[in-house]
Order: sequence, then structure tokens, then C-alpha cells
Amino acid sequence: MIDLDKLRNTAAETVSRDDVKHLVGWKKGTFGYRVAPCVIENAEEAESLVFSPLCAANLATYITLPEKLPVPKGEQPDDRKTALMVKGCDSRAVVQMLVEQGIDRDQVVIIGCSCQGVVDLQKVEEKFPEPLDTVEAEWKEDKIVFKLPDGEEEVARDEVLADNCLICRYPNPVIADVSLGSEVEPAKDGEDSSVKEIEDLSLDDRWEFWEKEFSNCIRCYSCRNVCPMCYCDDCVMDRLNPAWIYRSVNYSENTVFNLSRAFHLVGRCVDCGECERVCPMGLPLGKLNRKLAREVREKYEYEPGLDPEEKPFQASYRPDDQEDFIL
Amino acid sequence: MSEKILNKDKWSDFVSNVASSKQVWTMTGDDTVTFTPCAEAEEAPGKVLNATVPPKNVVFPQTETLFRFMFGQLEAELPEEAQEAVVLGLRPCDARAMNIVDDLFSWDEEDTYYQDKRQKTTLVGLACNEPGINCFCTSLEGSPASTEGLDVIMADLGEKYYLQAITDKGDKLLADVSGQLEDASDNDKKAFQELAEAAEGKIKRGIDASGIPEGLPNLWEHELWQKVSEACLGCGACTYLCPTCHCFDIQDELEGFKGRRCRMWDSCMYGEYTLHASGHNPRPTRRERTRNRINHKYNYYVEKFDKIACVGCGRCINQCPVNIDILNILSKVKEAL
Repeated sequence: MIDLDKLRNTAAETVSRDDVKHLVGWKKGTFGYRVAPCVIENAEEAESLVFSPLCAANLATYITLPEKLPVPKGEQPDDRKTALMVKGCDSRAVVQMLVEQGIDRDQVVIIGCSCQGVVDLQKVEEKFPEPLDTVEAEWKEDKIVFKLPDGEEEVARDEVLADNCLICRYPNPVIADVSLGSEVEPAKDGEDSSVKEIEDLSLDDRWEFWEKEFSNCIRCYSCRNVCPMCYCDDCVMDRLNPAWIYRSVNYSENTVFNLSRAFHLVGRCVDCGECERVCPMGLPLGKLNRKLAREVREKYEYEPGLDPEEKPFQASYRPDDQEDFIL
Repeated sequence: MSEKILNKDKWSDFVSNVASSKQVWTMTGDDTVTFTPCAEAEEAPGKVLNATVPPKNVVFPQTETLFRFMFGQLEAELPEEAQEAVVLGLRPCDARAMNIVDDLFSWDEEDTYYQDKRQKTTLVGLACNEPGINCFCTSLEGSPASTEGLDVIMADLGEKYYLQAITDKGDKLLADVSGQLEDASDNDKKAFQELAEAAEGKIKRGIDASGIPEGLPNLWEHELWQKVSEACLGCGACTYLCPTCHCFDIQDELEGFKGRRCRMWDSCMYGEYTLHASGHNPRPTRRERTRNRINHKYNYYVEKFDKIACVGCGRCINQCPVNIDILNILSKVKEAL
């Protein structure tokens, strides 16, 4: 648990610094279980910040999301820092951006928040349908307490946590300028058993599984836009000439889109689960990413987003890399 | 106009009966629900509040071939004409949305692709007994049992559905598939009216839209746009899932010497949407794009067609990954007026 007053004070102090432009945090949403990412610019606004099991959004995305407009003649670019609150997975995304030199370390001020896992709204809604009134939630030992309009309800954490949180290996921020909250134990079993379930299917069944899922994709690009590691200025999906991937929404093009994205994330995905959370069509994208992350971990002993001094996975050839699986 | 009763245990026979002469679209799927063509339906509608993706794809497919061509040949091959179709169990808000969008597709030129399908489609709506937490149709001239845009309205009376034809097209459909139908009594009609009234009382959210269309132009440079768009990811979820959003792009897709010109849904929330060939972008940030989304629905469309292009279905609120809430934006607009 993180003391909210401490969090707000830290945020207020940080955002008041001359070298900080704004701070990205979480605030209460407009209804039900929702929490919204927010950008605050002064100490007063820090009062609206929250940190709870509902704070699923990975704020690392907001470092690179703002569009860079041309600076008017005679004016200097605003190069003040972005401060942001990070959970364990969010912090790994920041580290991975540093590894890739997508951002500079002095561009960000990181407020690390130890995290006991965020909830999967669908799992919560199955237990308690979403009310109109805003609901607060908090961690309490191995439970999560929801303050519903009709009173408090306690649920075992494991029953409502997001799939990626159930197997979280890094609940504590791996990089931070200020750290809040006491250390959280990582999950005992860091493997996603549902990946194994798909691997155990026959080739035809696996094909059928993904064909059904990819056919549902509406190509709204929520997964791409929410992904902290999808920060290219010019995305290949938006290219028209040549159009590497047609915009037609059908199984074939959708498969190319989803697989291209998965392969662009090999050795980069930090398993924050955002792609899966935001997908309006419920595609199990995490399974794809976790499968590839496991391959990288087991075959190359590489885990992304842990050490800013590390080389990117695809640029880190080692003579002692395993070779037994190469054809 | 005829009024009928359909017992729920005859639902699948009813669907098969309709499907024998027309293409039938119903809600399918468990967690994410879409309208898809089906020959038979096992489950009677009404279990889910609404489809994740609205049924606009029946008349305005996400990807639609306009014509096919071959390099070196001057003649283009047109797609086949649309089939007669029936959409079963769409919600009144989505039918109203089609009515609103109809104006756009017959404005300067008749859009034959859209109109052909629209004219051949019969809409059989299902009134909402239990509106969702973010439904606000009553703020926008709709209601949980609105018949606007529908050919037939159905109401869930527990063990049976009450069906009322609204248009001649709907009347004809009910006459064609009379096998499973019985005549409705005055009590059935009364039960429907009571349910409709009760449902209206269950709508919790809303906005008084008066003054918004006229007021929006004065708020062009207002700071609220920066504030309401700061969390926006710039994805297309709100627009693709919106029953009135109708923007499309037209692209040529090639395969060897064969090609097709097709149109596909586009989203004004994408940066690429307004990107000029020169590299200039008149809507360079999410601020301008969010402002445009609201202005298009609540200002431009009203100016052009005298209708607000929003039906209050609540999808954009429910599905936004970062809680951008159109009612929250509109109340900020009202405050700023």
C-alpha cells in the first residue's frame, strides 16, 4: 500500500520543480471502476492523484505520445522534463526506451510505485456489476477491497487480478528517482500456463484458434497506440506507398498486422498487459507476447527492460548463445 | 400495422423461417458481440445489453469492394448487388443512428453502395428493458423503445416477444413469416408500453444538449480541448464502435495484375486521417482531433442535416481505454458556453 498523502506530496513537489513540465499520473474516473491517466501542471492538481488496483494504464506511453509540433521561429523548444508515476511494468517500459535510446534519462523524472497488481475489469464485473458511481479500491494483504455504493466488498487478489499481474516477475519499479511503497514479493510462478495450453494444441487447432481471434480484430489500433514500446513516429501500418499491410479488415491482413506487431515486440515487450486490456474485441494478445518473451528468456537468457546499460536484444549477439534450436 | 406475439421457444424456427428468403443478421459472440449473418440462431436476443460493434456494418461494411480491375483492361467489374437482409434484435439507438447517417449517404450524390443495401434491409429492433449505466438516448430525442428507423419493434415480455410493425416493410415481413406468430392482445401492447416507460425511468446519465451546437464554434480555442484530450491514445475505438461515425477512406489494393478499389472505415482520431501529401497536418495533435470528433457530432452535422450525430448508446464511454467520457466533455462544453 502506498500512502496517498505521501504520493500527492511527492507529486506536488516534483511538478513544482522548474525543470519539470508536467507530471503524468492517475486520477479518479468518471464512473464505475474507471481510472483515467491525467497530466497535472501544478501542485494543487496533485490532490486529484490516486494509486490503486484500478490504475491499470501504463503511463510510460505518455512520454512519447505527445505530438512534436514545429517550434515557431524565434522560440526555444520546451525541453523541460516529464515526470511520471510508474508501476513495476511501467518502469520496465521506461528502461527499455532508454536501452533503445528512444528517450534520454534526463528527459524524465520517475516516481516509482510498488504494485500489488491491477485488476482485470471483466473479472471484477463478473463479481460486482459496474455501478454508475465511481468506485474506489485498495489492496489489503492478499485481498482487494472495493468500495461499492452498497458497501465494501473484499475479494481474494488472485480472483480479480489481470492475467499478467498474476505472473508478474517485477512488481517493484526497476528504475526510479523517488520510490514509494514497500517492496512487493514477485509472483511465485512467473509463467503463463495458458501459453502452454495453446502450445499443446495440434497445429490445426492452433491455427483455428488464432484464425478465430484475428478475424475478430477491427484494426482500431488501440493495442498499438497504448503500447509503450510502439513509439515509432512513422508506423509501417500507416504507410500507403508502399502499403506493406493493406487496410482491408480481413483475416489475412489482420493476421499480418497482429503478427508483425508481436514480432516487433520480441525482446522488447515488458508484459504490462495493456494491449490485451484495451482491445475492444478481446483478443488475447498477451499470450502471443508472453510466448515470444519466454522464447527470448529461455533461449537467449535475455529479459528486456531491466538494465538501462544493456544492449537491445536484437543487437546483442553473444558467441555463447545457444545454437541447438537453430535449423 | 400488425401486432404479433412470438413465443421465445419458437425463436430459432422464426429465425430459420426469415433466413429462408433473406440474409439474417443477429448478435453473435460471448464476450465481444457483433452482428453477423447467420442461417439459424439458438439463443433468443436480449441477453446482452448491446453489441460491441454496432450493426452499421450491415449497410456500411468495414471493408467494401467498389469495383475490381485488371491491369491493361479498361473495364471494371462491379460487385454483386446486395441481398435482401433482416437485422434482428438491434437496439433502438442503433436504428436511430442509421436514420441519421442515411442523410449523409444521400446528400450530394446518392451513394448507391450504401443505399442499395439500406433499402434492402429490414430492421427489427428490440426495445431495452434494462438500459446500461452509460446509456443516454433520452437526452438526444431517443428512448429505450424508440421506433425511429425501425421497421418492426420487438419487446421482451418474459416468455414471449411482442412485435409491432412500424413501416410497410415491417408489416410485409411479419406477414411473410407469420408461421410462428400469433396475434397480440391489448394486454400485450399495454405490457410493452409499461416496460418502455419503466425503462425510460432507468436511464441515469444525460446531458441537456440545447445550446451546444450553436455554442461550439465559440469554444474553438478554449482550453478545455487540451484538458479533455490529454489522456487520449489516438486509437480508433470510439469511432469504429460508434453507430453514427461514417468516415471512410478509399484505397486500391493490388494482387499481381488484379486489383480492387475498396473503401474502409477510417477514424478522425488517427493522425494520418488529415495528413496532407505535403506533410502538413491541419489537425496535428490529439487536441484538434478530439475537438473535431465532438464538433462533427454536435455542430457540423447539425448545421448540415439538422440532427445531432450521436444517439447516446454509450459505446465510446464504455470502450475508451483511458476513460474519455463524451458526457464529461459535453458538460465541460456546457460550462464553458
